[in-house]
Amino acid sequence: MKSRNILLVEDNPDDEALTLRALRKNKILNKVTVAHDGAEALEVLFADGSGGEPPPGLILLDLKLPKIDGLEVLRRLRDDERTQLIPVVVLTSSKLDEDIIASYRNGANGYVRKPVKFAEFAEAVSTLGMFWLLLNEAAPPFVHHQV
Amino acid sequence: MVCVDADGRIVLVNTQMMRLFGYPREELEGQLVEMLVPDAARAVHPQRRTGYMADPVPRPMGAGMQLAARRRDGSTFPAEISLSAIDTDEGTLVTAAVRDVTERQRRQDDLERAVRNLETFTYSVAHDLRAPLRALGGFTAALLEDCWDGLGEVGQGYAERIKAASEQMATLIDDLLHLSRLSRAEMNLHAVDLGAEASRIAEELKRGGPGRGVRFVIQRPVWALADTPLIRMVLQNLLDNAWKFTSRRDDALIEFGVTPVENARVCCYVRDNGAGFDPAYVGKLFNPFQRLHTTQEFPGTGVGLASVRLIVERHAGHAWAEGAVGEGATFYFTLSAKESA
Repeated sequence: MKSRNILLVEDNPDDEALTLRALRKNKILNKVTVAHDGAEALEVLFADGSGGEPPPGLILLDLKLPKIDGLEVLRRLRDDERTQLIPVVVLTSSKLDEDIIASYRNGANGYVRKPVKFAEFAEAVSTLGMFWLLLNEAAPPFVHHQV
Repeated sequence: MVCVDADGRIVLVNTQMMRLFGYPREELEGQLVEMLVPDAARAVHPQRRTGYMADPVPRPMGAGMQLAARRRDGSTFPAEISLSAIDTDEGTLVTAAVRDVTERQRRQDDLERAVRNLETFTYSVAHDLRAPLRALGGFTAALLEDCWDGLGEVGQGYAERIKAASEQMATLIDDLLHLSRLSRAEMNLHAVDLGAEASRIAEELKRGGPGRGVRFVIQRPVWALADTPLIRMVLQNLLDNAWKFTSRRDDALIEFGVTPVENARVCCYVRDNGAGFDPAYVGKLFNPFQRLHTTQEFPGTGVGLASVRLIVERHAGHAWAEGAVGEGATFYFTLSAKESA
């Protein structure tokens, strides 16, 4: 497996630690970059050629974020050809219908409500990692064509 | 009340109208009624007026529209206007009864704001309360997994209790959200065979607990006008309860049927011969999170009967219970929803 990065967009340090622990516990050892708000997420994704980081193979996106919220991050990702095809799974506390609908409408590939029970939370994170990083055939990374 | 002739000229006003609009009588009578119409609607009004003259049946003006009227000082107020016509020697006159609904409008705005606030509150319960709870449960689980030996037996016990309590609270929050959604859920009324629904639930219960020798007696068909998913929830809750509270009986019997009742379209009951309850607490039975047994005796969070009452009341019905300790319980509910409701 080509080791693709995960971008975790999460403002809550507890959820961040629990997600990272769940990934580690489930032997998902892909590199995880954490962005703590929507603006930072966009910086990480659109920092052109600076760090030479390849685009992530999976984005786990919380909805309620400081500065730029999750839905806006999603819209901007889908508007840009460099990030248009990256799988984005919304990982949030809300299970309000309007949030679910808005997420899909803005191009989310999945929507998972963070379970409160840790065992279920760990399983959800592990299932997401397994499916999106191992099983799912992602679109090839975007390549800039010289004109 | 203001009376207008076929040309739209005011022929008669009562004192209430003069007070409402701030005009003396002589400034109104003989003038075009459009002087009472706000600027925005004045241009179209003569046309509407002629339209009404052609078919002068009594009706509210501008059905479904937000109407306003204009006072002498140019200010406007939200108005409700009903129209009717009278035939006189001088031809047809149209009378318009104008009511100032400012106060009602204000109360409605207040109410809508309160509902919006409540929805915001629900959202913050959904989102903000769950996050710390997840941390509580998650780190306790981490503590148990990663630091098991260091905790020692006493520490492990405490950590287990924290974990269990946080999970219990998570269930309570979910139940609360569930109730608030029930009270807002959209209703689609159809004819439903409650007997068939009850039978299906009974089959599921029997499949889920093959060791139990429960006898079900279910009347069929029992037709009622109801929202299918919601009424299923009522039956599910009542039959689940009956199943649960008969768990200590070998000769468990659960019945579903209808009983004659006045002032309702249909009255159903679910009866069991299980643990029953102390009739002294019958008034509390349908309150959210009210339990009459400890979780050790019978599990549950006490949200089932609260949902039942909520759903039944949304069907213009009532729910009540009869029972005695050790002698089983009977839960009744009526449904009176009408097609147009």
